[in-house]
Amino acid sequence: MKEKVIKGKTIKKLGIIEGEAVVSKDLVAFWGGTNWETGEIVEVGHQAKGKNMAGKILVCPAGKGGAGDTFGYYYLYKSKKAPKAIVCNRAQGTTLAGALLTNTPMVYAFDDNVVNIIEDGDQITVDSDNGKVTIRRK
Amino acid sequence: MKLNDQEKRMLSGEEGAGARKAMEILIAKGEAEGAEKMVNISYAHLMPADTMFFPYGRQGEWSRELTGSLTEGVTHLKVPTTMEPKFCDLEKAAHKMEFSNDTIEEMKSIMNPASKYFENLGVIPSYTALPFTIYPTKFGQHVSIAESIAILWANTVFGSRCERDDGVTSLAAAITGVYPEIGAHLQKNRYAEVVIRPANNVDIASFNYTDWDAYSLAASRKCKEKTPVFLGLPKELSFTQMKHLLEVIAVESGLAIMHIVGLTPEANTLEEALGNKKPVEEYEITKSDIEESYQIATTATENPVNYVFLGCPHVTLPEFRIIAETLENKKVHPDVTLIVSTNRYYMLTAKDMGYVDVIEKAGGTVVQDMCIAFSGTQATGTIATDSIKAAFFYTGFSSDSNRKVRLGDIQKCIEASINGKWNERS
Repeated sequence: MKEKVIKGKTIKKLGIIEGEAVVSKDLVAFWGGTNWETGEIVEVGHQAKGKNMAGKILVCPAGKGGAGDTFGYYYLYKSKKAPKAIVCNRAQGTTLAGALLTNTPMVYAFDDNVVNIIEDGDQITVDSDNGKVTIRRK
Repeated sequence: MKLNDQEKRMLSGEEGAGARKAMEILIAKGEAEGAEKMVNISYAHLMPADTMFFPYGRQGEWSRELTGSLTEGVTHLKVPTTMEPKFCDLEKAAHKMEFSNDTIEEMKSIMNPASKYFENLGVIPSYTALPFTIYPTKFGQHVSIAESIAILWANTVFGSRCERDDGVTSLAAAITGVYPEIGAHLQKNRYAEVVIRPANNVDIASFNYTDWDAYSLAASRKCKEKTPVFLGLPKELSFTQMKHLLEVIAVESGLAIMHIVGLTPEANTLEEALGNKKPVEEYEITKSDIEESYQIATTATENPVNYVFLGCPHVTLPEFRIIAETLENKKVHPDVTLIVSTNRYYMLTAKDMGYVDVIEKAGGTVVQDMCIAFSGTQATGTIATDSIKAAFFYTGFSSDSNRKVRLGDIQKCIEASINGKWNERS
């Protein structure tokens, strides 16, 4: 079993979260791009179309979307299909606001591009107090 | 981030739980982007979830709860504030757009008290995505706006400073009166990076309004996330032409600012727009790029049309004139629902001019204060529209959608409403 630790920044100290990674190489839209009733990425032509983020740790370059995207994230959370935590390269505004509203741990700004070093199914520990991510692969 | 005493007071909760949450959001946003301080804003434009964002069903309940938690203890807003259209006109339009009576009742119970709440808080009841017609801001002012075309307009046309804000962030900014100094609020992030110009085979002088949508989509597909400067556009661009040019790129590209040489206050010359740097890339928009835009937005293959939805963003007075002139002494086809959506200010004038009367006599419906792009997403069948922004909301440009789109200029859309079908050749 390989283990790797990477260090970035955190938007809020919300403790330690463990879970399984689901990786999107493309930017993720939570309104329109994700079905908030199921947690599935549904955007046409999206690299991660068909993957489900519910209860997992979402790994992506960043969020994207319009002025309503924060609401999309909030509805995803309210229907209990939100990711447990978000690991990303850039803390894009609409997603950041959604994560803060719902107390979803979000860590970002690592030296490595997270979508290149984390794979689907990796076991992830997110230390949101210190912006640290531990990746374990079987 | 360095906070002043008033900002610290809001963060401590002294001005209520809503102001504290608002400060927390703005600080986290600032720290994520390396802001050193807050700046004072002079205006905000809201997109409340419970007035605009599909206010029915489970998300409707949650939207009410969300506004409640964000505004807890808030008695007034710190800056002049306008707001987005409501979701739908429940008296004149909703039952024509495939909403059930139960859903209409639900919307009534969520949307109506929510708009009352915001009006009581002092929000100017603009109910439009063109709030700059009512509250134009000034060069250099910091503002916070949750509406893509209004963000782009504030930066590009007025030279005000605004980031790509969302419904939650703009409310936080209106409650606190401040915004972190990030993104387009900083001069260094405002310069253009790529040049967009028309190719020789593109005759801009012959453009109808929807051709500007097509030009805009082609431009956004080339520049992607890079800030563009538009070269070779006439200084005489009208308000309505600019509405169409800005509307599409605003929603497709995620940009806060673009430059139009000769029109943008920060782009008197190409060099000024680029901050005296060399462009990263230069693109030409060709005739085939424009034809491709029409193909991307058109998902219908059959000619019969079920709906003609106009007014994304709201129909302007020159557009009203085209609609009324085309419809005069004609009837809307019995199989077609025609809805013309505008704001309450244009509505008054359109009534005075007799345009509304002509449209209603012909069998069309004219509404104010609502968003035809969001509320149109329940309709099934083929929708004709003159707006690529609306087309994107109706189908996501996907042929898998429950509804299909026909894209054409406003006159062609009205002709389709009379004939009941799209005329490919006209």
